[in-house]
Amino acid sequence: MRQAIHSLTMLLTVLLLALISGAPVLAEKLVSAISSSHVAITSNFTGTQILVYGEIARDAETVSRTGNQDVVVVVEGPLERVTTWRKDRIVGLWINATSQTYIAVPSFYAVHATDDLRNIASEDWLKQYRIGLEHLPLAALGTRAPALERNAFKAAFLRSRVQHGLYSQMSKSINFLSPTLFSTTVDLPATIPTGDYKVTTFLFSGGVLLDQQEQVLTVAKTGFEQVTFNLSRQHPAVYGTLAIILALFTGWLAGVIFKKD
Amino acid sequence: MTRGAILQIYLPIAELPINVFMIFAMGGTVGFLSGLFGIGGGFLLTPLLIFSGIPPAVSVATVTTQIVASSASGVLSYWRKAGIDFKLAGVLLCSGIIGSAIGVWIFGILRSLGQLDLVISLAYVTFLGTIGVLMLGESMKAIMRRKSGKAPAGRKPGQHNWVHGLPFKVRFRRSKLYVSVIPIFGIGSSIGFLGSVLGIGGGFMMVPALIYLLRVPANIVIGTSLLQILGTMAVATFLHAINTQSVDIVLALTLMIGGVIGAQFGAQVGQGMRGEHLRLGLGLLVLLVGLRFAFNLIVEPDDLYSVSVIEEPVK
Repeated sequence: MRQAIHSLTMLLTVLLLALISGAPVLAEKLVSAISSSHVAITSNFTGTQILVYGEIARDAETVSRTGNQDVVVVVEGPLERVTTWRKDRIVGLWINATSQTYIAVPSFYAVHATDDLRNIASEDWLKQYRIGLEHLPLAALGTRAPALERNAFKAAFLRSRVQHGLYSQMSKSINFLSPTLFSTTVDLPATIPTGDYKVTTFLFSGGVLLDQQEQVLTVAKTGFEQVTFNLSRQHPAVYGTLAIILALFTGWLAGVIFKKD
Repeated sequence: MTRGAILQIYLPIAELPINVFMIFAMGGTVGFLSGLFGIGGGFLLTPLLIFSGIPPAVSVATVTTQIVASSASGVLSYWRKAGIDFKLAGVLLCSGIIGSAIGVWIFGILRSLGQLDLVISLAYVTFLGTIGVLMLGESMKAIMRRKSGKAPAGRKPGQHNWVHGLPFKVRFRRSKLYVSVIPIFGIGSSIGFLGSVLGIGGGFMMVPALIYLLRVPANIVIGTSLLQILGTMAVATFLHAINTQSVDIVLALTLMIGGVIGAQFGAQVGQGMRGEHLRLGLGLLVLLVGLRFAFNLIVEPDDLYSVSVIEEPVK
């Protein structure tokens, strides 16, 4: 009996240890999470932040290895089609003259990392996993413009997105709370588009991708904002009629309130 | 929550937060001026919204809704005073609806071509510039005449111009007019068109056109013009809701409330002022807005590039 209890305690201890340290692994493993999987846009929405955190789980063998580990967090909004215009002077007026259209660019994009991206991995890796603003695939639709021109448009597009807070890239923005625990907060500005966002956490060591984890973050209008928006898109005739009735009522009410006798 | 966050309200269609008090104040200021000068004020409100960062498409479409509200209270008070020619307003309205439908259709095309901003700017420069200069000239002349002691030239009975020689004449009893429907149709449709493309009611163009071209009596002209604007803008709101889907009901309501309150104060101040002084002020205001748009077109912008998201998300 006593032996049975003893062995049960042993088993529990082992299980507990396994839980704390993560399952026994051969190499580094990544466990990551986000503070909330839903962002609700309400009438007083002025932007928010999400916390991305996690743990690098490793066994005794890898601890002894001296390669420094880097974590990269990429938050990517739903894809959209975007046109960048450039004004030219035509008969003395500044007019949108040339444009380039990108068919599938993220509407929101944020990169956080423990170090400068070029210290973390090679160009090839970064390109393959779309890490970093300059590695976003911005292929213009049906353009025969020279490379110089294409790059100018690309730079202008990225500049505009950064200015509006929709794109950001921050190196050394991920904090290590302990040698294995990390966290970072990503700002979501008030103008973020709605839809499903992909939050990907990458673990690099010595320039090699060891593991990656993905979470989905849903940004959606709720309550009145959602009802209003859906009505305007699904039943535009009803929405338009309501807008007119509201306007007539307000005008009539004002006429009644301020009526001069 | 910070203090700034309390003042912010999220616009569901424009998809951005905006300071409620700023919009309220804008509506109130434009409402004051519209009460003062007896105009709708759309030509001031739309640019103000655009310059404050609201997308041009949303600004234009939403102001059409706001004009419905501001003209509704005006129509009510003129109706009570029997200051509306319903038949004339009806003909103007029918032509206005046609013009407005063409306007909304062209608005959509221009938006997809990326040239909406240009057309809005050019149209503002042209129309506001011309009308501002005409108003300035006319009101200066009136002020000079009053100073030199000459009687102002009023409407002489039986006075005719080329408009009265056109065919398809119709009798409008309330306005004591017998004129061709062609110029009425022309005025109504062009103002309906401009209204839906530029987000303006067009009262400041309609009233002079009705007075100088059609010789509509002064006591009828404003009420009739307001009713036509109400009808045209209601149709424009409906068409924008269906076609461009950019009417923001929250923005519209905030503007309306500010606008109707401001208009009451404006009307009180305006009653104590001389007509030609009001027209001089209005002329200056119209010209300034036009010049502001011209400035943007002529001076090299800080950033030559601009980014626009194309609707219909990628599947």
